[in-house]
Amino acid sequence: MLFWVIAAILTLGASLAVLLPLAGGPKGVSASSDHDLEVYRDQLSELDRDVARGLIQPAEAEEARAEIARRILRLDNVGDKAATRQPSMATRLVATAAVLAVPLVSWGLYSQLGSPELPSQPLSERLAKNPADSSVDELVARAEAYLAANPSDGRGWDVLAPVYLRMQRFSDAVTAYRNAIRLDGDSAARQAGLGEAIASAAGGIVSADAQAAFEAALKLDPANPKASFYLAMGMAQEGRIEEATAGWQKMLAALPQDSAWRAAVEQALAESARRSVASGVPAKGPDAGDVDAASSMSPQDREAMINTMVAGLDERLRQNPRDAEGWMQLIRSYVVLGKADQARGALNRGIAVFGSDSEEAKKFTAFAVSLGLTATE
Amino acid sequence: MVETGHFALVLAFALSLVQTLVPMFGARMNNQKMMAVGGPVAVTGFALTALSFAALAIAYATSDFSVANVWDNSHSLQPLIYKITGTWGNHEGSMLLWVLILTFFGALVAAFGSNLPATLRANVLAVQGAIGATFLLFILATSNPFARLNPAPIEGRDLNPILQDLGLAIHPPLLYLGYVGFSICFSFSVAALIEGRIDASWARWVRPWTLVAWMFLTGGIAMGSYWAYYELGWGGFWFWDPVENASFMPWLAGTALLHSAIVMEKRSALKIWTLLLAILTFSLSLLGTFLVRSGVLTSVHAFATDPTRGVFILCILTLFIGGSLALFAFRASRLTAGGLFHPISREGALVLNNLFLTTATATVLIGTLYPLAVEAVSADKISVGAPFFNLTFGPLMVPLLVVVPFGPLLAWKRGDIFAVAQRLMAAFAAALLAVLVTALFIDGASVFAALGVGLGFWLICGALTDIAVKSGFGTVAPSIMLRRFAGLPRSVFGTALAHLGLGLTTLGIVGTLCFGTEKILSMHAGETVQLSGHTLRFEGLYPAQGPNYSEDRGRFALLGADGSTTAVITSSKRSYPVRQMTTTESGIKTIGFSQLYLSLGDEGTDGSVVVRLWWKPLVTLIWGGALVMMAGAAMSLMDRRLRVGAPSRRRKSTGAVPSASLP
Repeated sequence: MLFWVIAAILTLGASLAVLLPLAGGPKGVSASSDHDLEVYRDQLSELDRDVARGLIQPAEAEEARAEIARRILRLDNVGDKAATRQPSMATRLVATAAVLAVPLVSWGLYSQLGSPELPSQPLSERLAKNPADSSVDELVARAEAYLAANPSDGRGWDVLAPVYLRMQRFSDAVTAYRNAIRLDGDSAARQAGLGEAIASAAGGIVSADAQAAFEAALKLDPANPKASFYLAMGMAQEGRIEEATAGWQKMLAALPQDSAWRAAVEQALAESARRSVASGVPAKGPDAGDVDAASSMSPQDREAMINTMVAGLDERLRQNPRDAEGWMQLIRSYVVLGKADQARGALNRGIAVFGSDSEEAKKFTAFAVSLGLTATE
Repeated sequence: MVETGHFALVLAFALSLVQTLVPMFGARMNNQKMMAVGGPVAVTGFALTALSFAALAIAYATSDFSVANVWDNSHSLQPLIYKITGTWGNHEGSMLLWVLILTFFGALVAAFGSNLPATLRANVLAVQGAIGATFLLFILATSNPFARLNPAPIEGRDLNPILQDLGLAIHPPLLYLGYVGFSICFSFSVAALIEGRIDASWARWVRPWTLVAWMFLTGGIAMGSYWAYYELGWGGFWFWDPVENASFMPWLAGTALLHSAIVMEKRSALKIWTLLLAILTFSLSLLGTFLVRSGVLTSVHAFATDPTRGVFILCILTLFIGGSLALFAFRASRLTAGGLFHPISREGALVLNNLFLTTATATVLIGTLYPLAVEAVSADKISVGAPFFNLTFGPLMVPLLVVVPFGPLLAWKRGDIFAVAQRLMAAFAAALLAVLVTALFIDGASVFAALGVGLGFWLICGALTDIAVKSGFGTVAPSIMLRRFAGLPRSVFGTALAHLGLGLTTLGIVGTLCFGTEKILSMHAGETVQLSGHTLRFEGLYPAQGPNYSEDRGRFALLGADGSTTAVITSSKRSYPVRQMTTTESGIKTIGFSQLYLSLGDEGTDGSVVVRLWWKPLVTLIWGGALVMMAGAAMSLMDRRLRVGAPSRRRKSTGAVPSASLP
């Protein structure tokens, strides 16, 4: 609202700047010949000064004086032609058009270009408003601003690190975990988080750095589920499926009945079992981000989340069917969820999209076989 | 606030249309009221543009990332000064600054032009309004700085690290004040062509604007040169980079204009030529803007690379340059020519100056545009670099510099070159002495170096001779001389200072190019190196954290004769994480007029660092000379002669002057 008031005032001011001179009374105006005369007189006096200073020889000065005098004479011939004509119809038209043009052009153009509904959003204001109204991005930015001013607050890094992880800002999460460990000391949770962040930054691959972090976590807390889980996954990625299976099984035995990790471990075990039967499929556990999200949910919520994700993928493939990777992902998802019929349906649909003779169809079939599935049944 | 700024900009565009059309109609129909619209509208237009610019600057200062332009060129961790200067550290903002300055000059004409003839004033404001309308349309249509983002990102993408420097606060505003200042001379010229007559006082009104524009352009170029010198880390002060040339061409043409306007003002000669020069100078300013903004040239000024904008600017160029030159072709014959003069005279000297300067401008123009033309027709890429300019521009400049001291000493209309030469004997002797001293005691190897130093001294002593002769040195008693000295017109001091500054710059360039030494070596901490009699010890690399960058600082101790540390020089390599860019901050120690310059290179695996060292004798004189030139222009601006040209009111105050020999 305030903006429209300001805009109206500005328009009014601008229109007045056009209107007032047009409406005002006639002014006394000097003819241009007066200006010229003034200059010629000054040139004459300057000539005298230049002669006194020796900047021009007397003979040339005489010549110059004659030149100036001739110009003054010519001036008189030109005469005064600055008589103001009475305002005619045409001038009145021009005046009206000019005064109208200001609001019309400006409001017309602004309605095309502007975003009047958007307020200014200075960063400090956005960061100072009630946290309940802030988006996650804004809360994180606020925490970052605080930590930039107090970089030695280990607790702050500790709080921020898992948030980064969830926001998939993995390299920031690595920095935050490292800072938390440096300032507040080692803990199993921080080391395991660091490991997870390093692994996620590398696209889910458990590298040597990540492995070291997980091992450090296990040294502090031998029962840390995240560290155990990822270490096993690292083994699976290296093709040591049996060792990985052993690790997960040991975990499963030790996990309490209500642990959020059970499902993730069971899923990983199921997949590794399949893979040890039909080896050749690259090892890839559930996406690290999903695991993290799933690990902090109740079993019902988790199942709902997984179902939603798979349904979303299914829907996406209905709209953009030419996505071979997507079909394989969908088939595998249904197999993992134990929905063999739907997995088979997805396989048939995928083959139909690319044609049964296509490279993709052969790939799908081989993939399905490796998962223990056949196309027709 | 942001949208208020946006609306103000649109409103300023609407007003600029009115400013173009109504006063021009008024001048044609000789309607006083319509002509009177120009003034208030120009002032209001400036106020609105200033409001718009302020809104953008505030958005930058408060990191309002809902503005796309701010998001693209700012970061919340930047120091406040760089947040603010970031306003014009990008294409959109810099164009807004351009228009702000344009409307500012227009408002100045409106505010102080009450002594102009009404039709001239109306036409000048109309032409000024047309330039403003075109550029405002350009901004609104192709480069709107007020485009919004919704939802707003939480963090910006940072300003180009090279631009995060105090130089950005000074260089573009000064340069634009120069570029755009010439728009006033252009508007006056076009207005005179539209009217078909040049008032006697025309030159008196144009000359101060030329002086102002030239002063700022000199400062802008010098500042840009110094910025490139210390920021780019390779120790050069002028690279013949196309973008540098783009600012240098209007300067050369503007210098010519400055001198021809003197002739026109004092002797009513060279009218048509001056008019043409004014048009060409602003055309070159526009061309400079075009070359930098269109992305035709890729260079340090890498923040604008959008060819569609280039097409728009090309249209602007065609409209203004083509239009004004066509107008010139049609109307120039109607203008009356002025006073007569002999070849050997002050006028003649100034014509010679103009000949050299315009030829030099043409040389630079060819060197800058030829590669573009070749690329356009044959797809070959060629580059015209320093060798071309050294071979063409250099030989043109040297004779001009040699004759500079003669000009101010020659009499108007008919001069006596032998008398002038006699007066310059002392300056010549001083220059000769400088040549001999250089050749015998400093560096006998290069004749050019010795002659160059001599040229510098010749210019400096010539400028001093001018003052001395005009004060009556050696011909009158000291007391009268002092009185005459105090009574000399300011413009005489202005001339002398500007020519003296030219001498200083020449000396600086010759000193740096001919006597500079350089070393590139790999150093470990604790090692020392000798360069031109200075001993430096590398103390080591230390990491440090800036507000939005991390850096490795190399510390160097300058050792005195007894081995004690006399000064510490640091050079650093900065890394800006947001843009993933690194910059080199050079370390500079000024000793007298000379500088010790060093910059860090790559780190070796064994802990050593590549260090580049330069000893640059007299290098500060290059920019110091430019400052003296600016002082000369400022001095000239204070001359009372420039304020004459108004009828009636001032008549009484100046009426008594003719009888007195001094004002």
